[in-house]
Parts: sequence; structure tokens; C-alpha cells
Amino acid sequence: MIAMIRTRPLLSLLAAAAFTLMLGPVVILTGVAFTAGETLAFPPEGLSLRWFSAALDYPPFIDAFGTSLLVAAVSTVLALALGVPATLALNRGRVPGRKAVEGLFFAPVIVPELVLSLALFQQVMVGMRVTALGALVVGHTVLLLPYTVRVVGASLALADPRLEEAARGLGSGPVRTFFTVTLPVMAPGIVSATILAFITSLNNVPLSLLLTGPGVATLPVEMLNYVQSSFDPVVAAVSVLLLALSVAVAFATERVAGFTKVFGR
Amino acid sequence: MTPVVELDRVGHRFAAKGGAGTTAVADLDLAVRRGEFTTLLGPSGCGKTTTLRMIAGFLRPTSGRILLEGADATRTPPEKRNIGMVFQSYALFPHMTLLDNVGYGLRARKVPAAEARERAGQALELVGLSHAAGRKPAELSGGQQQRVALARAVAIRPSVLLLDEPLSNLDARLRVQMRRELLQVQRETGLTAILVTHDQDEALELSDTMVILNGGRLEQQGAPRDVFPRPASRFVAEFLGYDNFPELPGRGPATIRPEHVRLLPAGEREDGGDTGLDGTVAAVTYQGAGCLVEAGIDGAEGPGSAVRCLHPADDLRPGDRVRIVLPARHLVELPAGEQR
Repeated sequence: MIAMIRTRPLLSLLAAAAFTLMLGPVVILTGVAFTAGETLAFPPEGLSLRWFSAALDYPPFIDAFGTSLLVAAVSTVLALALGVPATLALNRGRVPGRKAVEGLFFAPVIVPELVLSLALFQQVMVGMRVTALGALVVGHTVLLLPYTVRVVGASLALADPRLEEAARGLGSGPVRTFFTVTLPVMAPGIVSATILAFITSLNNVPLSLLLTGPGVATLPVEMLNYVQSSFDPVVAAVSVLLLALSVAVAFATERVAGFTKVFGR
Repeated sequence: MTPVVELDRVGHRFAAKGGAGTTAVADLDLAVRRGEFTTLLGPSGCGKTTTLRMIAGFLRPTSGRILLEGADATRTPPEKRNIGMVFQSYALFPHMTLLDNVGYGLRARKVPAAEARERAGQALELVGLSHAAGRKPAELSGGQQQRVALARAVAIRPSVLLLDEPLSNLDARLRVQMRRELLQVQRETGLTAILVTHDQDEALELSDTMVILNGGRLEQQGAPRDVFPRPASRFVAEFLGYDNFPELPGRGPATIRPEHVRLLPAGEREDGGDTGLDGTVAAVTYQGAGCLVEAGIDGAEGPGSAVRCLHPADDLRPGDRVRIVLPARHLVELPAGEQR
């Protein structure tokens, strides 16, 4: 570390600046959340958990958190249910116009989310009278599809396409081959895709912004609403909780089913 | 005795968009006898891998029939063919231990767990890897992975062992060693084997029968001892390393290895039965133990007008007149009209 600073001073400085820029605001926000004072000020005026308890006592946040978890869970499952077969077909089957189909699955990343949000609001919520929750699930599923298709596809693309043939040659029918070879080979990809999709959904704002209804909004949108009217450290406390949850999900999943473990390296 | 594998006018055409497609294999007849080691040999694109994949059931022939143990298996899916396939990429299951990899085919056959474990263990022992039974494939070297792939294919006691260039991903030294091991395993198990390779040395060393393919068609087949000294065409000769293609005046194209050509002083005569031609030394390359002499045939022109000869002495110079002797037992006359 010290040697690094001495031999590459400019690079070290840039790295330090990048880390400060990325992590600085998070550190400040975390500090603010633990303040005992009344305002969003840094450094905090004394330490307390009062804003955390205030956040947990504020029903719209609790409801919104419930909505967020529900939307994230359901749309992650749906995106996997649609994305895994799609990526299997794209990587292992003979799909006419493969490139075009792949492009289609990647499109939600390119279309501005706010545009998608407006379209869903106008066509699905107003036009088809679907509830805000339904529209949220549809929207988030579309948003997460590129992740599931790509990440699971990557683990398939890395695996030897002869594995399935080897299994067939050894006497396994197509179904047994899928469950004993293809699925285990995809497993690390499915695990990463699940984490990535769940966290992406949980933290999304632009897509969820217009998809609200009476008593229905995701947590980040509810936080945005809150900041527009009041300016106290409750929002900081909620942010820290959301951050902690995201990190915990990522860590736990990596621990339980890390890729390294699956491949025995 | 019924052949283990029989190909009856088998062909495969790959469909192409809008066009006529390409013929990978055409009208191939082949019979592999029990316990024999057969190699399918040829340059890339000759149809050897396509043929193997059709025997395995991963590709369906577009014409002809495939018989396994005498029964028509043309439309039988691979899992019902009782074949043991070894892939060039090994294709070991990355999430399973070696023992589970080797036992996979036995479990698929509903062999009781205890017996499956025992037989998998025996197969691993056959390739000298019983000590690593609990490891995962990623922990092994290429040669070790290849051994596991072989054990996995052998463990199911297949009616035929199919080997798709199994040694081509290994370095040269290991390849030669694995060749011996492969042959040893095949002899010990008494399995019928079909190996696909583009390596003529591999084919010569391993085969009971070698089948040389060119552009999807059978070019020549037979025991290495019969095929190597008597290539039936210029293609086979070139593929087996012949590089001397003189055009015999009045008789047509022929081939002979440079070490079999003899050069006599001009005026001397060859023994009866051998072919003798008058010629002039064109070039001499000193090679220590002898010289590589290129001699032009009198009255001949073009690519077939010279013979190369490994001459044991350094007594010839360009311009010297010689009698080129092509001994009958080494001279191979080739069919005319083959343009290369």
C-alpha cells in the first residue's frame, strides 16, 4: 500500500479521489442518520437512534417497504421464469434471428425508464385499469429481464456445450440431463441474477415514480415524496436501512451459494 | 459375426439458407468388428467428426442406415444407444466429483448405488486416479481430465467407445503417453473403439483398421500395415507424408519415399522388375549421414519430372548423369487424372 503510493503517486491519488467520491456521501449520510439533532446536518449533533425509531413509526414507510419487497420478490421470480427458458433457448437451441431476439431482451436497458413508466401508467394503469401494484410488477419484470437473460446466459455460455451431449451419451434422457447437468451448471448464474435483480428492483426510482396509487408506492418513491415536504434526518435513517438490506442480501446469497463454492475451486 | 457398428450408405447434408447445403458425408459404408480399434482419419472438413456424431446419435443421417449390434439404430436417441463417448473438450461435469462423474452413466442406468460406486471406483483405478476420486474436475490437469473422461465412458461398459480427437488438446509428449494408455485401456477392457483423428501417427499406432476420409467420402480403408506402404490415391499418399510424386514416362503418376529411391552411376542397370530411369542430378542438399538428391527424369517436364532421393554418399554434384532406380516393392503407382 505504502509502496504503491510511492511508486504510482498519481494513480494512488486518483484511486483515493474515486473512493472518496463514491463512499464519502454514503459515510456522511450514515453519520447524519445517527444524529441526535433536528436537521440533516453533518457532523451529527450527538448520537442517537431516534430517527431510526421515527422512521419505523412512520406508517407510509412501512407500507412502502412492504410494497417494495413484494414487487421485488414477485418481479424477480417472474423475470427468472421468463428469462431462464429464454436464455436456454438462445444459448442451446436453434433460434432463428438469435441476435434480434437477444437485442429485444436487452431493450429495457436502453429505453429510458421514465418513458417506460409513463407508457405503463398511460396504457396499463389508465388504459387497462390495472392496479398500481400490478403495473409495478409488470414494469419491474420488464426492467429485470435483461439481467436474468444476460447473467444466466453468461454462465451457460461459459459452460462446455458438450456437457449435455455427454450426459445424453451416458444414458440420460433430455429431462434427466436438464436436472442433473444443465440446471446445476446454470445455478451460479441464477443465484447472481437473483441478487442483482432483487436489489435493482428494490432501489429503483424512475420506473416506479409514476406507478403509484392510493396507499401504494415503493420505498424509494415514498422517500422522494417525504423529502419534498420535510427536511429531517428520517430519510437518512431509512436510506441507511435500505443500504444495509441491499448489502446484507448480497453478502448472504454469496455466502450461501457463492459461485466459487459451486465449482469447487 | 455381426459387426458392432455398421454404416450402410450413410450420408449427411447440412442444410444451408436458400442454397443446396453442403455434403459432409456421402454414401459411407463401414463395418466395425467387435474388439477392434478403428480410426477415422482425415484433414478437417473430411466428415470424420460428423460420422462419429451420427454413430453417437447427436446427428441424424440424411440418408442411409446405422446399425448397432445388428439392429437399425438410425433413429435411436443417444441415451438408448449404449455408447461411451470421449470428447475433445473432455466435457466433465464441473459440479460433480470425479467419482460422481464416472458413476453418472451407471446412475442413469439405475444401477444400485453401492454397485455404481464400486464400478466407478474400478474405472477410476483403471486410469490410475482412484486417489483423486473426491476431487472436482477443475482441480485436475488436462491429461488427468482426459483420463476421467475415458473412465466415465468405459464405466458403462458400452458396446462401442467413441473418441472424438481426445488427445488433441494435450501437449506433444503427453499425447504420445496418453496414446499408449488409451490403447492399454482398450485392450484391457476388450472394448470396440472408434477414434477420430487428423494425426496420422496416432492412427498408425492405434488402429486395427484405419479409415481415411476425404471430402465426406471413403478414400481408403485397411490395416495400417496394408495402407501405409500402399496408398491407393495421391490424397492418401500425401496425407501419410509421401512427398515424392514422379510421373513415370508411359506409365503415369507414382509415389515412393525418398529413402527407397536408389541412384546408380549412369550406364549401370537395375535388377529385373525394378523401374529404372535415366536422369540428371538437379540439386544436392548435404544432410550429414547422406544427401537429399533431386534428379530430373530425362524427357519429362512439369511437376512430376523430378525424383527426390535420400542418397547414402556425398559423391554426386548437379549435372551428373545417373540411373534412377525405383524398387518394385516400394514403388506405388497411383490412379491417373487426380488433380491436386
